[in-house]
Amino acid sequence: MKKDTKLAFWTWVPDIQKEVDLFQAKYPSVKVEVVNVGQGGAHYQKLRAAIQAGKGAPDVVQMEFDKLPSFTLTDSLLDLTPYGIGDLKSDYPGWVWSGVTPGGKGIYGVPQDTGPMGMLYREDLFTAAGLTVPKTWDDFAAAVTTYRGKNPSSMLTNWAPSSEANMLGLFWQAGGRPFSYDGAKSVKINLTGDAACKKVTAYWNDLFKSGNIGNEPDFNDAWYQGLNSGKYASWLTGAWGPVFLQGTAKSTAGKWRAAPLPQWDTSKPASGNYGGSTDAVLKSSENPIAAAMLARFVNTDEKAALTLANEQFLFPPATKTLNNPAFADATSSFYGGQKVNKQFTDISMTVQEGFQFLPFNDYAASSYDKTMGKAIGDRGDLNAALAAWQDDLVQYAKGQGFTVAS
Amino acid sequence: MTATDTAQVVTRNSAASPPRRKRSGKSTLLTVVMLLCLVYFLLPIFWLVVASTKANDDLFTSFGLWFSNMNLAENLHNVFTFQNGVFGHWMLNSLIYAIASGFGASALATAAGYAFAKYRFPGGNAMFTIVLGAVMIPMTALAIPTYLLFAGANLTNTVWAVILPSLVSPFGVYLMRVYAADAVPDSLIEAARVDGAGEMRIFFQIVLRLLVPGSITVLLFTLVASWNNYFLPLIMLNSPDLFPLPVGLAQWQAASAAGSGSQALFSTVITGSLVSVLPLMAAFLFLQRYWQSGLGSGAVKA
Amino acid sequence: MTQPAQPALEKKPVNIAKRRQYVAAYALSMPFMVVFALMIAVPLFYAGYLSFFKKQLIGGVSFVGMDNYARALTDPSFLGGVGRMALFLVIQVPVMLGLSLLFALILDSGMLRLQRFIRLGVFLPYAIPSVIATLMWGYLYGKDFGPFAQLAKSLGLPAPDFLAGGNVLFSIMNIVTWGFVGYNMIVMYAALRSIPAELYEAARVDGAREWRLAWSIKIPAIRGALLLTTIFSVIGSFQLFNEPNLLRVIAPAAIGQDYTPNMYAFQLSFVNQDSNYAAAIAFLLGIVIMAVSYGVQLTANRKEKAS
Repeated sequence: MKKDTKLAFWTWVPDIQKEVDLFQAKYPSVKVEVVNVGQGGAHYQKLRAAIQAGKGAPDVVQMEFDKLPSFTLTDSLLDLTPYGIGDLKSDYPGWVWSGVTPGGKGIYGVPQDTGPMGMLYREDLFTAAGLTVPKTWDDFAAAVTTYRGKNPSSMLTNWAPSSEANMLGLFWQAGGRPFSYDGAKSVKINLTGDAACKKVTAYWNDLFKSGNIGNEPDFNDAWYQGLNSGKYASWLTGAWGPVFLQGTAKSTAGKWRAAPLPQWDTSKPASGNYGGSTDAVLKSSENPIAAAMLARFVNTDEKAALTLANEQFLFPPATKTLNNPAFADATSSFYGGQKVNKQFTDISMTVQEGFQFLPFNDYAASSYDKTMGKAIGDRGDLNAALAAWQDDLVQYAKGQGFTVAS
Repeated sequence: MTATDTAQVVTRNSAASPPRRKRSGKSTLLTVVMLLCLVYFLLPIFWLVVASTKANDDLFTSFGLWFSNMNLAENLHNVFTFQNGVFGHWMLNSLIYAIASGFGASALATAAGYAFAKYRFPGGNAMFTIVLGAVMIPMTALAIPTYLLFAGANLTNTVWAVILPSLVSPFGVYLMRVYAADAVPDSLIEAARVDGAGEMRIFFQIVLRLLVPGSITVLLFTLVASWNNYFLPLIMLNSPDLFPLPVGLAQWQAASAAGSGSQALFSTVITGSLVSVLPLMAAFLFLQRYWQSGLGSGAVKA
Repeated sequence: MTQPAQPALEKKPVNIAKRRQYVAAYALSMPFMVVFALMIAVPLFYAGYLSFFKKQLIGGVSFVGMDNYARALTDPSFLGGVGRMALFLVIQVPVMLGLSLLFALILDSGMLRLQRFIRLGVFLPYAIPSVIATLMWGYLYGKDFGPFAQLAKSLGLPAPDFLAGGNVLFSIMNIVTWGFVGYNMIVMYAALRSIPAELYEAARVDGAREWRLAWSIKIPAIRGALLLTTIFSVIGSFQLFNEPNLLRVIAPAAIGQDYTPNMYAFQLSFVNQDSNYAAAIAFLLGIVIMAVSYGVQLTANRKEKAS
């Protein structure tokens, strides 16, 4: 690449300038402007508005796995296949790669980080309650009751009302495959017909009804305090959770440990994914080659990838980084010297393929909030809420012109 | 029209304003009751000051309405250095937006308000009615159409996207119309016309100074509106370097809920909030008398 | 529109003078009107245009006439939001304006010590942007660490849950009231201060007491200010957005994304990708606001006639 090229890169990864600097050192003719337009919701709203206006969209954009299909639906993302991204396929676990090829057609992003789910728990509180780490969901339910019995002011865990992504991770683990999209006009929405989804929903319905687990919203001040004060003794979260917790519950350092999720079938260990993102290239980019190179470089260059993992604490998607001793052997005093990265690497290998998101996941998440989320918040009937969610999604999909199968 | 005439008018006007009468006796009981009410209004502000001195952990573990470990210096340091000191940009942006919008809006409103008050001209009343009616349509809901139009004009993600819409203050026009009707005697304009002064000269040389108190009120009103403006810049701006304070702070607050790559910036956001409300509070302290004189004069005659 | 009759002097000079005045009137009002047209009227018309179309994710754009409006009239999200805001209006506005009026009358009575300090103190919350005010109150409302909860706990009482489904509307009312009592108070206070002295003469002769003075002279004299603050409060209530939208982060189960019509329209635009329907919602909401504002004015006029 010789001629001067300018790229706009929208991302909310803190300090990603470091990796971008590595890129620019290698390709001095490319000037990258890194912009954080806002985390989560605001990020996508601005991207949509810019796409709709036909102006002001970036060249490269951070995009979570569950959002990809809704941008390929509007034909806004560039298929990276012609840019040689396909040769990266073997570097990732199968479930990660299928996340950037929605519907199995084309490659629409380079994986940046993932969130295979595990359990973070307070070893001291577990021990005090006489509990061992629950291996199965049945153990977990029993532990919830036992723990509550001994700690009337604390709970074994909290499950937030408005976290569709988190719940989908549990469906995923249990083998639920409620959604699919053929890349054209047909979607499958089958929450109520999917045995695994129903099983998970019924299971959590009982937990909420018992009053023995929390139902507070997460990622806000009260919730942080709950993790700090021992109000919640565990957190079922993605692989990005450990570092996050470490930064926000400093007063509990040394007391936490990481473990796999409780299992439905211990003979076939499984997990689901919660969170994580990719870097995608916009179709409107005037410099698609440079843009594709940037997306590739920051996530796959050995040094850049390791910096993302070790300094920005994004859980690496690539097998090579996962197995790099500089990453895998790291220990943390916050987790009592446990090799937490290694733990989640192992979990990552148990995530099963085949889970898909709807091409209108934004809507699905907001619809989840008003059905499932509401039931969780009110400790209402979660099973009925699942049906309500299903109905609402079907109605929306039909209204948008999709052919809906269940 | 001579300087003396104008001076007389001004004196007459100001003399006519606040009619003071015999004071009733001071009541200690009433004062105490009002001071108790005041606790309600000042408590959250007191909380903000206290919370600004705390680190993240203390924020949630110590008593909310009293000091704990003093961490103010570090919080302030974080506020002004986080993300390469972008907070300083935000303050400057807020100031620029507020001043540009404030002065611009009050100048436009002053001229238009005077025109609507003192001239009978074709379309005048219709325009005024439309301007007032437009207040009723919620602009929040028109975000996308507005955004698309601005994008078409290449104005999104520029300072103009924030300043231009803020130049329109229908309430300001309304206020100035009422104010001008009252503060500028028709006889004064007629006299000036008889003296052969042109309409523009009348406005700029004679009328304008009579309108100043009203204009200052509109200025303050639009300054506050612009300082508090959240929604429009949120939609229009992408570059954090262009954000005004509320948008920037809300983004920091959201940074704690972003899943992967999250940072819990609670104490930074709180301290940043305190820093960002101080300028306006100071302005209120020093500009108190304008608030009453002008705001009231518009409202009284409504 | 008709012009006020001018004294018939020589025909020509009058016309010239009139024309000059027209020119001046347009010259003075046009700068505002041009910006108004570009920044408000054009987006409004564009939104109006959009509201007659429908855009599907599959199938694209089609003209649907009034369908979006018809859909809104049976949409529980929209109707629910309007109903909630009507409830908000009926409770919050009278409380807020009542407090403002009471404080203004107390200030005006001259019976307070520390008058300036109190006046400024009540007004100060107006200096706090709603984004920050909501953030602050969010902490104060906290069930685990908010000072009210902490106090309740130390007294052995259950912590009040300000963010529970049934309470959150009142918690939002509180934030708005807190922010705007002072502003409305200043408007009313300024109006009270400019009541002509003559009005008091008769009352003073009667030796009327302060509350009697307030009821029979002061309040009727500031009708204009009361009407103005009421109408602006009506508009503000129906357009509520910032406070509930930001509180949603800590109370997502209690505050849905369609909690207020404005939030719903925002949600439609940016999440459901349905800005056509959002535009229709905006216009319907505008009509509701106009109708209510007109109703308020009508009631006020009728009362005036009756008295």
